[in-house]
Amino acid sequence: MKKVIYTCPYVSAEWIAAYGLKPCRIVPYSNGTNSGIIRTEGLCPYVRDFINNLNEKEECIAVFTTLCDQMRRGFDIVTSRLDTPAFLMNIPSTWQTIASQKLYLDELKRLGNFLVQSGGKTPSDETLAEGMLKYNKARKSILEMNDKLSALQYAQLLEQFGKNGPDEVGRMGFSPCCSSIPLAIVGSPLLKHDFEILEITELLGGRIVLNATENGERGLCSPFNKRKLKENLLMELADTYFNSIHDASRRPNSELYKWLKINLVEREVKGIIFHRNIWCDIWHAELQRLKDWIDLPVLDIESTGDNQSTNQNTINRIRAFLEMLS
Amino acid sequence: MNIEPKQISLEKWDEQYNKLRKAGLYEPSYGGRLSRHVEDGDMRLLKLKYDNSAAALRLWNFLLTEEDRLKNARDNCKKLIGTMKDLGTIPVMAYSFENTIAFYPDGAWWIPCVMELNAGLLEIADSLGIDESFCPVRAMLGAFATEAHFPIPDFLICSVGATCDDFSAIAQRLNGMGHPIFWWEMPHRRNPKSYEDKVILPGGFAAPKCQLEFVKSELERIKVALSEISGQEMNDEKLSAGIIKANQVRKYLSELRYLAFTAELCPLPALEMLIAEMLAIHFCSDIDETIEVLKDLLDEVKTRIKNNTGFFDRDAVKIFWVNPVADLQVMNLLEDCGGRICGTEYLFSHALDEIPENIPPLDALAQMALADPMAGSTIDRASRICNDIIKYGSEAVLISRIPGASHCALEGEIIGQVIRENFDIPVVEIEVPPITDAMKPTVRTRLEALVETVKARPQNKIHKRRTE
Ligand code: SF4
Ligand code: SF4
Repeated sequence: MKKVIYTCPYVSAEWIAAYGLKPCRIVPYSNGTNSGIIRTEGLCPYVRDFINNLNEKEECIAVFTTLCDQMRRGFDIVTSRLDTPAFLMNIPSTWQTIASQKLYLDELKRLGNFLVQSGGKTPSDETLAEGMLKYNKARKSILEMNDKLSALQYAQLLEQFGKNGPDEVGRMGFSPCCSSIPLAIVGSPLLKHDFEILEITELLGGRIVLNATENGERGLCSPFNKRKLKENLLMELADTYFNSIHDASRRPNSELYKWLKINLVEREVKGIIFHRNIWCDIWHAELQRLKDWIDLPVLDIESTGDNQSTNQNTINRIRAFLEMLS
Repeated sequence: MNIEPKQISLEKWDEQYNKLRKAGLYEPSYGGRLSRHVEDGDMRLLKLKYDNSAAALRLWNFLLTEEDRLKNARDNCKKLIGTMKDLGTIPVMAYSFENTIAFYPDGAWWIPCVMELNAGLLEIADSLGIDESFCPVRAMLGAFATEAHFPIPDFLICSVGATCDDFSAIAQRLNGMGHPIFWWEMPHRRNPKSYEDKVILPGGFAAPKCQLEFVKSELERIKVALSEISGQEMNDEKLSAGIIKANQVRKYLSELRYLAFTAELCPLPALEMLIAEMLAIHFCSDIDETIEVLKDLLDEVKTRIKNNTGFFDRDAVKIFWVNPVADLQVMNLLEDCGGRICGTEYLFSHALDEIPENIPPLDALAQMALADPMAGSTIDRASRICNDIIKYGSEAVLISRIPGASHCALEGEIIGQVIRENFDIPVVEIEVPPITDAMKPTVRTRLEALVETVKARPQNKIHKRRTE
C-alpha cells in the first residue's frame, strides 16, 4: 500500500486511509550527517528533516500544508528537486468565518482528487465512516493512556499511531512515570531526537502530564459527533479537524490559549517547558506572550536540530527548573 | 533650470536647495531643505547619496513627511486605517472612501536603518520577546509601543494565510498587546488544474477561479468593515474611481521603471527608484500628491534621456535586485561598485501591475491581491523575475537576504536555481542587515566581484534564455 507521508495535524489520516492508501504521519529525524538535500541557514530543522526524510524514503506521496511559511516553501523545494509526488494543502489561518471553514473542506476534497490520481480509490461513505470510528476509538484509548505511560512512551505511542494507524494502539506496555512535579510541554513539534527532553525531564523528577506540542496531544482532533456523522460524514470530518485542533498559527490564536487553560488547570500543572525549533517564528513569538499570560514558571528550550537539544546545558537548565519547582 | 545629474550628499543638498530656490523652485506644502529631517533623528540620511534634481527633492520630502500627513488627517477627523502585509490592495479600497487614509505600519521595517538604530524600536521588540531571529519588521512592535512614529490607526486590517511567518507572528503579538485586528485570509495561490476554470492575473500568474471567488469574498468583508468605520457606503462607482487613480500611479511607475532600467545611461539612481516604487503600496498617505511626485520624476527622467545625460558609466553592470534592502546605503554602494539597477522584485510587484478596469471592481482587486508574488510558489515568483530579466536586459541577479525573514531560508535557493536554468548569468545572495557599516567591506567585495564577473564575460553570453 502506498504511503502518504506528512507531519501536519490538520491532515486527516482517516481521509487518506479511506482512499485505500496508508497515512503515515511521521516525526522527522535527523540522520546526523550533512548529506540531506537541504541544509540552508535560517531553516527550521523540522522542515529540513522532513524534506530530507522524504528524500530517503522509497516510493511515497508527500503532503505538505501551509501551516507555516517555511513548510509552504519546503513544498517548492520538493517539487523542484525530488520525484516524490507532492501535494500542498491550504490550511486557512483564519477560522472564524464560514468561508475559511469551507475552504478547509474544499481542500480536503482537492486532496481526495490528488489521492485518486496517485492510485487511491474514491471511498464509499461506509468505508469513510468505518475508518472515522476506528480512529475515534484509537484516539480515545490514547488519551486514556496518558497517565499510564511515561512521557517518552506516550510520545512514542502517538508517533506509532501517526505512522502505523489505529491498529498499533494498545500494544504498548505500561510503565507510568513515578516522578512528582506535574509539567506541560508546549510548543513546536518535537523532532525524533528531541524526545530525549521528555525522558530527561522525567528522570530528573518532572512528570509531563500534558504534551501540548504539535505532535503531542494537542495535535489530536476531538471525537467525532456520532449524530452528525450520520448527517454529513465529510462535513463532520472537516468540522472536527478544523475546529478542534488549536495551533499557534491560527489568527487569532485565542482558542489555543483557551484550550491550554482548561488542560493546565485540569491537570494541575506546576510548570511549563516551552519547546521551539530554531527559526520557528510562529512559536517563538508565543513564548513571551505565554509568560505574560500564565502564572506559572516557563522554561524555554530551543531545539537547534543538530541533536544537541539535550546537551549538558539543557539538562542543567531542566534540573534547575525542577529544583525551583520542588 | 538645467542641472547636470549628479549624486550629492545631504550637506550639498542645502547648497543645491538654495540654487533651486533662486531659480524659482516650485515647493509643495511639505517642501523645504532635506537636511531638516536629520533633526527628527533620521541619521542615515547623512550617509546617503542623492539625485540632485528638484523632482528627487520633492520625492524625498514627500516620503519623509508622511507622519505629519497622518497627524493632519487625524486632526481633520479622517479615519486612519492600518493595513498590514497585503502590500497594495487594501489601500486602493480605503482611498476610495472620502474620509479614510490607509498606511502600512509595516513601513517601520525601515526605521532601524533610517534612524541608525537610535529609535530603540528593536530593543522594545526584544523586550516583547521578538528578537533578531525575526526580520526588521519587528520594529513595528516598538513603533506601536512608543506611539512615536505614526499615530495609532483607528482600525487594523491584516492579511494572513499565505504570508510570511514573521509578520503573522508579530501581528498576533500586537493583537495580544491589546490592538484589535481584522484578519483576512489570503490563500496560497496555486496553479489551476486543467479541469478548473482559471483566471490570468495582472502580472501573468494563473489561479483557479474558485480562489479568486474566495479572495473576493474576503474583500467584501473588508469593504463592509471599512464602510462601518468610515460611516460611508461604498459602491462600485467609487471603487472604480479609486482603481483608476491607483492605475495612474502604476502607469507612471511602469513607464518610469522601463525608462530607468533600459536607458543607455542610468537616468535615475537606485535609491530614488526604490522610493518611487514604494509609493505604489499606499501612496505615502496622499494619492493625488503621489501622482504629481511621480509625474515630476518621469519628466525629469525623460529630459535626461533626451539630453543624453544620466549617472554612472555606460558600461555599468545591469543588476536585477530581489527583495528590498534593509540598509538603504547598500543601493548607493552597488552603484559605487560599478553596478546599476535594471529590474527589481521588492516583494510587491503586484502593486505595480495595472488593475483591470473592465471587470467589476471587487473582482479586479481580488485579482490584484491574488497576484502577490509572495502568496504563490517561489517558482512562480522566480519565473516572473525571469520575464523581467528579459524585459530589462539584466546581466546579473542579486538576491538580498533579509535577516531573520522566514521566506529567505529557502527562496534564494529556488530563485537561483530557476534563473540558472533559464539564463547564463551570475546570481548571488547577500544578507543585508539594517545597518551594514560593520560589514561594509564584505558587502563591497561581494558586489565588486559580481560586477567584475559580468564584465569579464563575453557579451553574447548575457541575458539569453538557455532554451533560445
Ligand atoms: S516548527 Fe514552526 S517553522 Fe517549523 S514546521 Fe513547525 S510551524 Fe513551521
Ligand atoms: S521582509 Fe519578508 S519576512 Fe519581513 S515582513 Fe516583509 S515579507 Fe515578511
